[in-house]
Amino acid sequence: MSVAWIGDRETPFEQAAEKAAALLHASRCPLFTIDADTDGTRAAIGLAKLVGAAYDHPGGASLARETTLFTDQGGMFVTPGEARRRADVLVVVGALPDIHLSFLAELFTSPPDLPAVGQRRVFVIGNVSLPPGTDGLVEMLSCGGEAATLAALRAQCAGRKVATPVQNFDRFAEALAAARFPVFLFSGRASESPAIEMLQGLVSDLNRKSRAAALFLPASESGWGSTLASTWLTGFPMRTGFARGFPEYDPWRFDAARMIADGEADLHLHVSTWPDTAPANNDGIDFVALQHTDGPVAGAQVTIAVGEAGIDHDAVLYSSRTGTFAFKRAPAASSSPPAAAVLRAIAERVPGGAPDLC
Amino acid sequence: MLTRISGGEIVDPPNGRVGPGDLWIKDENIIEAPADGRADRTIDASGCVVMAGAIDIHSHIGGGNVNTARLLLPEQHAAHLRRPDGTPLSNAGWSTVETGRRYATMGFTTVIEPAMPPNAALHTHLELADIPIIDKGTLAILGNDDFLLSMIRDKASPDMIDDYVAWTVGSTRALGVKVINAGAAAAFKENVRTFSLDDVVPSYGVSSRRIVKTLQGAVERLGIPHPLHVHCNNLGVPGAADTAARTIAAAEGIPLHLAHLQFYGYGTEGKRKFSSAAASLAELVNASREVTIDVGQVMFGQTVTISADVMRQFAARGSAHPRKSVIHEADGNGGGIVPFRYRQDYYGALQWAVGLELFLLIEDPWRVFFTTDHPNGAPFTAYPKLFELLMSRDARNEAASLLPHSAMALSTLSTIGREYTFEEIAIMTRAAPAKLLGLEDRGHLGAGAIADVAVYRRDADIAKMLGRAALVFKNGDQVVTDGEVTHYRWGKALRLDPPKNPAMIRRLEEFYQQRYGLSLDWLAFPDSAIARDEPFGEVPCRA
Ligand SMILES: [Zn+2]
Repeated sequence: MSVAWIGDRETPFEQAAEKAAALLHASRCPLFTIDADTDGTRAAIGLAKLVGAAYDHPGGASLARETTLFTDQGGMFVTPGEARRRADVLVVVGALPDIHLSFLAELFTSPPDLPAVGQRRVFVIGNVSLPPGTDGLVEMLSCGGEAATLAALRAQCAGRKVATPVQNFDRFAEALAAARFPVFLFSGRASESPAIEMLQGLVSDLNRKSRAAALFLPASESGWGSTLASTWLTGFPMRTGFARGFPEYDPWRFDAARMIADGEADLHLHVSTWPDTAPANNDGIDFVALQHTDGPVAGAQVTIAVGEAGIDHDAVLYSSRTGTFAFKRAPAASSSPPAAAVLRAIAERVPGGAPDLC
Repeated sequence: MLTRISGGEIVDPPNGRVGPGDLWIKDENIIEAPADGRADRTIDASGCVVMAGAIDIHSHIGGGNVNTARLLLPEQHAAHLRRPDGTPLSNAGWSTVETGRRYATMGFTTVIEPAMPPNAALHTHLELADIPIIDKGTLAILGNDDFLLSMIRDKASPDMIDDYVAWTVGSTRALGVKVINAGAAAAFKENVRTFSLDDVVPSYGVSSRRIVKTLQGAVERLGIPHPLHVHCNNLGVPGAADTAARTIAAAEGIPLHLAHLQFYGYGTEGKRKFSSAAASLAELVNASREVTIDVGQVMFGQTVTISADVMRQFAARGSAHPRKSVIHEADGNGGGIVPFRYRQDYYGALQWAVGLELFLLIEDPWRVFFTTDHPNGAPFTAYPKLFELLMSRDARNEAASLLPHSAMALSTLSTIGREYTFEEIAIMTRAAPAKLLGLEDRGHLGAGAIADVAVYRRDADIAKMLGRAALVFKNGDQVVTDGEVTHYRWGKALRLDPPKNPAMIRRLEEFYQQRYGLSLDWLAFPDSAIARDEPFGEVPCRA
């Protein structure tokens, strides 16, 4: 089975790895986009360190909003398991990615493990797509956009007057008064940054006298997993670069889409361990694709097919169902190599040798 | 490969070796001097002190809460880049790679991460595996989890409790068990804001004391070498010395380890109602042979507090510097990340003095352990300075002279003349931790021990001497030369593996399905998940 191509031409894996290493070595400003399992991320960051690359997640904008909440503000959070066990009031803040819909359905329909609470109350802020058949369970809270609604909600909860009261506020206030543990669900995908920040303000206020927390359901599970791995490996989240030999974090400078659009990057290496659509337009710069693919990726000087994490090979992945990393055993052995192995094979071929670590 | 480290001053109290002599290393181990006296390589260690590699029993080096602290504070690294000799925190080096590097250069070869949430064990081990050079170990947190509290409430048999503790330790690959503000995190979920030893968790009707005693008993019965590791209630509160004293009394002859006792060494005297109670606590520890403690010394400067004591961290949010924090609620303890700056003001000075009093007034170096509760009292990079304070009365007095007299007046520190000797340092930071953790293969320089060796060039400047080892060997590999890492290798995470009872696994499967809608499989992982060769090393339980 062919696993590598130079341009459109099938080629032995070693040659493709050699070519990728040569392109990386020649690049002045290499950029990686990483959408990988934990070991793949570890290997990609190792290679980035070796060649002085910057790296980001391909869905970098949502991830950056989520990361900013932690780097700039922090907040009060709860794990998904604990939310399922104890939340008696749920508030969905903004649209959640489809990957979370089944968990949402589970939350809506399971009873909390609290004495004398039968059914959870569910409120929704913003344009939220709900699990099938659950429309009748939810109540809308609205007075404009998400951030405006949250601001008004916060003010009204604190007993302040507002120009435009939140629709259904009385029902929310009554639910809150009886609640033991209200949980607010959000992701960085649809919610604007001000809404995410305002939400934490509301949660913080509520905790003065009673209990509440936010449940973070990331826009991309692999993106959040890679951010966590990047953070322990380098000290910094995604959008970190090694141009000066040591890690520097700059969410503006190392925004992959911007680096390509502004013509800063002269090489783009894209790692994706899942079936994937083509990444950003790479016109005019070298492009190396390490993807789960059956054929050469359009526009790539080098394509190397990699296995699908958790399907072709065992993998450790971030799970938004548990709020932490989980091990996923591959159902059957496959000849497609893990991205980590391909990245390390390239690293060994970069003049100067493999990195000591990562 | 046969290596001879010759002419150094060997400081190895457990083997009764203190004085000039040679140390022989064959491959990974220390051996007796061979009869023919021929080495492949001889290293001149004259003018040096030769000790076993140091062991840190309590340092928050990896896992979800530590990583959240990194995420919360990227600016600390930026400071590090601009000013390499800047604040202590910037020197701590946040990353896993820097953690291994900096510990190794000080001659530390084994470090214990004391707070692993069982449901996030894989995350903790992924991080520990990425810390190079040193060996690691970690303690599993129990005592706020619904399963245990329900079992205690429902009067489960000791066998069932033991089965659960054994399952947790084995499946999370822990080296021991820690309880953190027992019951308080569960009570906080019910909106309780303060919690003491005899307070009762709502909905369970179980007191904090009962949780501690239950876990202490299980750890003892299972033969887990490390005694139950207790983070007491009321951390940081004026008058917490009383809570600590009552917890010490609750040991009742069975081994118990109290973590970072400094944070409980506070009385309520003086006009600020905040004074040192260290002297009386030290006396209590001296008299309680079954109790061990580590100090959790405070050193001045910027740091970040990382704790699974979610109730305490929530209360501390207002003192965050810079003004941001993360409070995280989870299936068991959860936790909180609150950045903090220890100032040389009344309160900071008093905390500093309390820690030193505990170090100096607890007489037995086998029962007091060298920690700053990294990074809670200070980053571990402050260790060289702390060694100096313990080994030099002059250094201590000089540092104290810069602090508010009002604080020093409420502490006995100025009256203490004791200076730690190298022998006592070797016990406190090598032999005693190995004994406390059940690691017979390290902490000493006897034949058969693994060759974890730290060689320090004598210097009048103690901080300089102990901050940059002349040579460090890990498993016989020379990893540090003249205070710099010269060779990287991967260590192991040391773990226990007590047998699991299949009946308990079935009960837990049912529990997770019912409470969390999850199969236990979500939490399980094989060693191969770590993606390194031999990521774990097994330590036996006591027979
Ligand atoms: Zn601690």
